[in-house]
Amino acid sequence: MKDIVIRTVCRVIVPFVQVYGLYVIFHGHLSPGGGFAGGAILGSSMVLFALSFHLEAGAQKLGHETSSYLESGGGIWYILIGLLGLALGSNFLTNRAAGLGFGLPGQLFSGGMIFLLSLGIGVKVASTMFTLFYNLSEEEGSGGDHQ
Amino acid sequence: MEVNPYVAVGILLLMAYVFFYLPAGYIRHVLIVLLVFIIGYALVMTVSEMPTFGAVDTPAHNVVPERYLGRAPEETGAVNVVTAIITDYRAFDTLGEVVVLFVAIVAALSNLKAR
Repeated sequence: MKDIVIRTVCRVIVPFVQVYGLYVIFHGHLSPGGGFAGGAILGSSMVLFALSFHLEAGAQKLGHETSSYLESGGGIWYILIGLLGLALGSNFLTNRAAGLGFGLPGQLFSGGMIFLLSLGIGVKVASTMFTLFYNLSEEEGSGGDHQ
Repeated sequence: MEVNPYVAVGILLLMAYVFFYLPAGYIRHVLIVLLVFIIGYALVMTVSEMPTFGAVDTPAHNVVPERYLGRAPEETGAVNVVTAIITDYRAFDTLGEVVVLFVAIVAALSNLKAR
């Protein structure tokens, strides 16, 4: 689409959507939301960018390689956080008993590993959405706009 | 309502016989209608034995939600109880969900790129 209205509106909207997605991820233990919801918002912002501009422009912002590394890294990050509990002398994926850093409940840096796990889940969901969208739309052979 | 297990197994065997072996005809149709009525009766009896909506003595109101709702902030440090459950009490289940996402993308990419 070469519509200047859509491009201008998306250029304004996309940063706000991404900041909101990061907010939902990072405040997952304080307010409604969490890794899955925030990751979906983050991924859909990238899909919106790639749709309104060009698929190539979206691939320049977040390449295939980077996306697949983020994709695998999110899962590995989750398992590493789980193994951290094992290394601290407790069960797999324990939080309180492993003695991770706890703040006051209700503050941003509290809840031990919940914060880190939400981050991993968010990155994973966002890159999964973007990678699936990109590969499926690339398969069409249209490559975005040919108007 | 108590159900004799021999009767239940017999009904299942009759179902298998009707669906897989019985040739099409008058007897098959009659037996299928009979089986539908038996299964429908069982389902209605099951629903009639469910606890009424909002009852205090529902089996779901046991010690588990009391513990989650009352002690989640002190046990996990998270104010949001939903997040506390999915990333702390049920973190291993969430690991399974992450693996599901991974398997989904591996399946999609291996189908699309394998040419």
